Order: sequence, then structure tokens, then C-alpha cells
Amino acid sequence: MNPFGTFVQLVVDGLAQGSIYGALALAIVLVNQATGLINFAQGGMAVLGSYIGMTIGNLAIPGVGSTIGIIFGIVAAVIASLALGGFVERFVMRRFERAEEDTKIVATVGLLTLLTGLVGLIWGFNPTPYPFFFGGSESLRIGSVSISVWSIVTFATIIALMIVLQILFRGTKLGLGMRAVADNAPSAALSGIRVGGMRMAGWGLAAALGTVAAILLASKSQLTPNNFDGILVYALAAVVIGGLDSPLGAVIAALGITILESLAAAYVPWIGHDLKVVVPFVLVFIVLIIRPQGLFGRRAVVRV
Amino acid sequence: MPLPERNLLELKDVTAFYGPVQVLESVSISVPEGGAVGILGANGAGKTTTLRAISGTVRAGGSIVYDGQSIRGFRPERVASLGIAHVPEGRGTLGNLTVRENLMVGAYMRKDRQQVATDLDYLLELFPNLKQRIRSNASALSGGEQQMLAVSRAFMAAPKLLVLDEPSLGLAPSTARSVYDAIARLRKESGIAMLVVEQNANLAFSVVDSVTVLETGRSVLTGTTAELKGNDEIRRAYLGG
Amino acid sequence: MKGYDAVVSNRWVRLGTFLALVVVLAIVPLVADPFTNQTISHIAVFAVAILGLNIVMGFTGLVSLGHSFFVGVGAYCAIIPIRDWWGGPLAEGAIVIGFLLSGLIPGVLGLLIALVTVRLRGLALAMVTIALPTIGLPLAQKFSEFTGGNEGVSIRRLDYVGADGEIHKGNPFAAGPGLENDQWQYYIVVTIAIAFFALAYFLVRGKYGRAFAIVKSNEAIASSMGVSPYRYKVLAFTIAAIYGGIAGFLLIVWGQFTSSETLAFHNSIDLVIASIVGGAGSIVGAVLGGIFYVAVSQIMNGLQLSIYTTLVQGVVIIVILFLLPGGLASLPRTIRRLVRRGRSGHSVGADPTAGSTTENTK
Repeated sequence: MNPFGTFVQLVVDGLAQGSIYGALALAIVLVNQATGLINFAQGGMAVLGSYIGMTIGNLAIPGVGSTIGIIFGIVAAVIASLALGGFVERFVMRRFERAEEDTKIVATVGLLTLLTGLVGLIWGFNPTPYPFFFGGSESLRIGSVSISVWSIVTFATIIALMIVLQILFRGTKLGLGMRAVADNAPSAALSGIRVGGMRMAGWGLAAALGTVAAILLASKSQLTPNNFDGILVYALAAVVIGGLDSPLGAVIAALGITILESLAAAYVPWIGHDLKVVVPFVLVFIVLIIRPQGLFGRRAVVRV
Repeated sequence: MPLPERNLLELKDVTAFYGPVQVLESVSISVPEGGAVGILGANGAGKTTTLRAISGTVRAGGSIVYDGQSIRGFRPERVASLGIAHVPEGRGTLGNLTVRENLMVGAYMRKDRQQVATDLDYLLELFPNLKQRIRSNASALSGGEQQMLAVSRAFMAAPKLLVLDEPSLGLAPSTARSVYDAIARLRKESGIAMLVVEQNANLAFSVVDSVTVLETGRSVLTGTTAELKGNDEIRRAYLGG
Repeated sequence: MKGYDAVVSNRWVRLGTFLALVVVLAIVPLVADPFTNQTISHIAVFAVAILGLNIVMGFTGLVSLGHSFFVGVGAYCAIIPIRDWWGGPLAEGAIVIGFLLSGLIPGVLGLLIALVTVRLRGLALAMVTIALPTIGLPLAQKFSEFTGGNEGVSIRRLDYVGADGEIHKGNPFAAGPGLENDQWQYYIVVTIAIAFFALAYFLVRGKYGRAFAIVKSNEAIASSMGVSPYRYKVLAFTIAAIYGGIAGFLLIVWGQFTSSETLAFHNSIDLVIASIVGGAGSIVGAVLGGIFYVAVSQIMNGLQLSIYTTLVQGVVIIVILFLLPGGLASLPRTIRRLVRRGRSGHSVGADPTAGSTTENTK
């Protein structure tokens, strides 16, 4: 393929991969806005959801055929994550509401370990295929350029999901309640908003978003309990670069990081594939120096 | 003193602690239906804590009876759902939400959409600068505007009892004056009951019927506005002359 | 409970206990089997690593999710000079060089990193610490001619020139006459570990420990007292890096092997978990943490339940955070408090020591 085609392919694949990181980054921002902590286990929750999707999907397919079975699986995964997210917030994380910052971080790291261990125990640590509508290798030809179907579908799905979430937040009563709680929970309570419920909803939505991203990823590369460990790091980088209080910033940052990283890997020989992970961190470093609250963030980071 | 109608809110010997420190030792206050009561006292006397005890933000002992029901120990969401709207110290403005959204949060518990819309229009007419800034983020408003927003938001809940914590705090005298004019008008036009904590006695007198003075966590003096306004000794002792 | 408190904080009791412990530790390898000795050495290795983590995280309040980076770098700093120079004229000198470098280079790296990043908080700081192993591992893999990449470097059979002028193969950490290998390695590891623990003890007892504690609890107060939060955070982070590096050296003494795997991010997480489980704000906690770190995988493997290992780690840390946030080291304190409460018949108000993972004990 010609250089232009390669470039386009890199960008498209970068957008797709970046949208997965962006989904996780957005989930992290959501949870942070809802309950004020960075959830290092966000990826672990997403992976658990995707495994549930796989199991339900595999159970359903023989009965109702592959398409409907897959859809069953996805729906079941989303519902399970909504419930899981709410459950974890209510019964695990709420305990650490008033804890110090490092305790909160350790708690979510512990949760990640627990979830990974649970998934590994139930489903094993070996890679498992995820039943999906199509595989990762099908591609579409547009003119002289070959684009992966998976990339297009992934990018479109996640962006659509984000738009849906945006509508939820800005246009519905639930969204209003969640934003009020995120802004000033005691004040929201004085208006009768059930703070606990809103926090659970925030966690549930974040978990569901992560699960969809995890399913999309798994459809291309198979399920493993550690699927999102590396992705977590990228998602956190996107959150730092975009700004902890900016959902849009996190997504844009994720897309940007991924594309830049792919381009660096392809066009800068001494970075190549092995060291391309340096790129996001260099960007993080730069942003932390010139604009610590993130490119799209609002408040200054300084807290005494 | 005229016979009170049924008391909407009655506090008897209310106590409250912050950790090991006792902030309220014995506070007794009554708010009749449709009445307006002011709470006066020096800083640290326990005025804000009293309001917090009512809205469930702080745990309290003693008796707090609202509309015939004990509400002591109820969580804030539940107290709000019973018709008490508390505008807290610092106003509780939801800074990242717009003015309109702040008001709609006020109406969160209500199901009567038509009436909510009517109330919204009424308040925007009452506070034209809120109407002007309706799409702005609440954090962009001035202190006075935020105060009016907070009061309006509480009003949007169609409460039976409006509880206000120092509406004049941090405001220039003329702005505070306007806020109180608006509060007086709201009271007149809706007949809603009010409980107002205030440092500035004169402002309080302009809207309330009676006043309770707190001193180090105790309610030490209760009387009608007329009685307290006229009594020089009391004014000097408790109300800064 | 005054009697108990008085006894435990008595200087002579502490010294006596410490000396008794040293004597016991000195005798154990002579009577125990090789596996036990190796296990104790293994524990000592990670106790030192976790002690470093406790100093920066528990005592000073800076989250470090990249500690395995310093252990890994220290391990390389130790093993590479030995691999390249032990066989030549330097002989044992190579080991000493390895030891010094394993403290020095991670220390310098830690210092440089700390100087730039210690002003950050929360997520930003966590990100930087995460960056260390995340970048370190691929770097180690890339320079594999030097580091052995994934395959790693082993110094179990190195060439050296013997007395007869011929080339033989040997292990730099083989024991001389009278001792077995595992015993010799035990003594080296445990002695160095004890020395570094003693060092940490004096550090923490003195003005540095107090400074760390003040910086952790309230930076504003710290500055107003003339204690620069910046300086002490940098110091704590650097010390942690040095301890991590030394632990890397001890790892080499113990196993004569390292690879890029040592730098892996999940090791950092395991270290943090072990630190909290043991008691992040305590020196004794570091030992308990080391025991936990080694015991978990050994026990699970022994029971043929290794598939449960990660889950057990996760469950234990969550349970600890819920029930015993100060870690196992805080168990005596917690029991005392419960007994006190039970005796007086009612709750003794808000206990300021409750619910903190990183409260300093000793």
C-alpha cells in the first residue's frame, strides 16, 4: 500500500484504539466526578463485564443463533456492569469516602487485584475468544486505502455511546441529579437528591461504558484477565493530559495520545514498537509542567 | 402575646455535638404555620448548627417536631422531601451548573411539571438579573445574585418551611437590602413559613414576626419583633445596640 | 494498660528484644534446612524493599506505584558488574562495586525524579511513579545485549581464572568451606538487611522521622515550622529508591538472577499491597509485609492453589483496609483499644488513631 494509505490506516486504527482508551478515561473521569476518587480498578471492572458478556453470549448462541446470542451477551454484560458498579460503590468504596488520598488509591488498586484474581479463578488466565459479529482482520477498501472494519465500528460505537451519555447528563433529570451531587453533594442533598443513589448510578454507568469498550477490544484480540492493565495506564495518561475535571478533554487526549504514539512508532525508527509507550509519558510530563490542571482542565492543581 | 396557631416546627431542648465539643446545649424555638421567626446571636452561638440540626445535616439530641412528626435523626434528603428547604451557610450554589439548572435542582422532588414551570417564571420575574444570566454558570454570578439564586432554588421546592442561614453574609448593605426585600415579598405573596438566621438584627426585623436569641448554645430570649426592637437594654446586650 | 505501654517503649526492652532477635537469626541457618534459609533470605530481600516503600508512602504520604523500578535497576546494577568483572582480577571487588552501584544509581535516579515531581499530588504523582516501570521494562528489553532482556542475566556459572591458571566456572556467591551456599547467602542478605533496618530505625526515631510525619499530616504547618515539605519529600523518595536498589542487590545474592520481569508494574502493586498489609507506617510492618509478599505465593503454590493467589491478595488487602487499616503491625494497638473500650463500657469518643493506613507506629 502506498504511504498515504499507510498513514490513513495508522490514523484510523489510532482513532479506534484511542477511543477504547478514551472510553476508559471517560469512565475514570465520571467516577472521579461522582465520588472524588481515581478508580484504578476501572479497567478490571470492564474486563469482568466483558467476560460475563462472553459467557452469556456463548450460552445463548446455540439457542437463538449467533447474532441474537451476541446481542444477548452484550446486553447482559451492560446490565451486569451497571449492577456491579453500583454494588462496588455502595458496599466497598463508600467506606473510603473520608479516607486519605493514598488510602483511596490503594483501595482501588486492591480492588483491581481482587477483580483480576476473581476473573482468573472463574475463567482462567489463558486467552479466550470473544464471540462477535466479525473478527479483527476484516477490512474495507476505499479507493486505494484499506481500512479495518473493526476500527470503524469501534470508533463509531464508542463515540455514539459518549454522545448518549452526554445527552443523559445534560438532558435528563437523572443526569442533573448526578451533576449536582458531583458539584456539591451536601447541597444537593438539601434539595432532596439521594446522594448515595446518584453515586451508585455514576459508578454503574462508568462500569457499563468500560465494559462496552472491553468487549470491543476483546472481539479483536481475545479476552484475558489482564486485558486492560496496559490500557489503564494510557487512560490515566489521557485523564492527566486532558484534565481530571474534563470529560471531553480526557477523550480528546486519549485519541491524540494514541495517534501520536502510532505515528511515532511508525515514523521514528529509534522509538519503534518497543519504546512507543514512552510517548504518552513524555506528553504527560510536558503537560504537567506547562499546564498542570490539564489541557482542558479548569481548577489549578495546587492544594495545601 | 396572641395565641399561636399550630406550630409548624417546634424545637425543644435541642443539643448537638461536633465530635466531643458541645455546640448546642439547650435550644428551644417555635415556628407557627405561616409565621416567620428569626434567630439572632453572636458568632459561635450555635445559630448555623441549629439550622443544621433541623435539616439533618448534623446529628442532634432533644426534640425536633415538624408538622406533628419528629424529624430528629432524619437524613437531609428525607427532611427536604417533607417540605423543609434549607439554604445553607455559603449558599450551597452548584457552581458548575447553570442558573436554570440550579433552579431545576430545587424542584427535583416535584412531579407537577406545569406548576414547576409557572414557579420558575414567577421567580425569574421577581429576580430579573437571574433571568438575564439564566444560561450562565452559577459560579459566574456575583454574591448577591448567588444569594437570590439560592433563595429561589429553595423556593422552587414549593416548601412549607424556608430555612435561611445568614442571607446577608458577605453582601454590601444595599445588596443585602434587596435580598431581604425579595424575601419579604416572597413571604407576603406565598404565605410560606420562614426561619431566618441573621447577624444583622435590623434586616431580620424587616421580615420576621418574632425572634429567638441564642447565646453559647442556649436559647436565652424569645419575643416578638416589636418587643425586642423597642427594648433598649436587650438591644444593647444582644443585638449590638 | 499502662504497664504494657511502659514495657514496650522502654529502651532497654527494645534493645534486648532486638539483640535476642539477632542471635536467633544468627543461629537459625545452622540448624534449619536450605529451603527455610532461602525463604528467610527471600523475606529479608523484600522486607528491605518494602521498608523503603514504607518510608516514602507510609511515613511521608507519597504514593509510589513504581517501586519495582528501583528494585529492578538495583538488581541490574549489582549483577552486571559481577557478570563482567568477577572472573577477572577484581574478583570479590566486583561484588562490592555491585553493592555500591545498586544503592547509588537508583538513589541518583530517585533523587532526580523526586526533584522534579515531588510537588505533584494525587493522580499526577501516581502517574509519574507508574511511568517508571512502564517505561523501564521496555527499555530493559530493548537493551538486551546489556541486560539480557526477557531472558535475563544469570551469574550462577561464571568463568573465572583459578589458582591453576585454568578457566573454571563458579558462583560468586558460593560458600567457602564450612558453610553451605544457602547459609552463606543467608548471612550476607540478613546481615545487610539488619543493618539497613537499623539505619531506618534511627532515621525514623530522630528528627527526620518527625519531619516526615509533619509533612505528611499538614504541609502548611510544616512550612510554618521551618520544615520544608519539598526537601523532606525528596529525601524520603530518594531513601526509598536507595532501599529499593539495595533490595535489588540482595535479590541477586539470594537468587543470582534477574530479568526485565523484575521491573514489571504488577510487582510494584504487589509491593504496595504487601506494604499496607504489613503496616505501611511501621518498621516492623516492613518485615510483616515481606513475610506476606513471600508467603502468599509460596503457600498458594504449595497448596496447589496458585490460581487463587491474585484473588487472595486482593481479598486480603481489602479486608485489611476495612478492618485493620494500619496493617498487621497495628494489631496489638487495635486489640488494646478494643479491650479498653470493652472495659469502660462505652465508646470513648472519636479515636484519632482509627482508620488510618499510614499512621506512624515506631
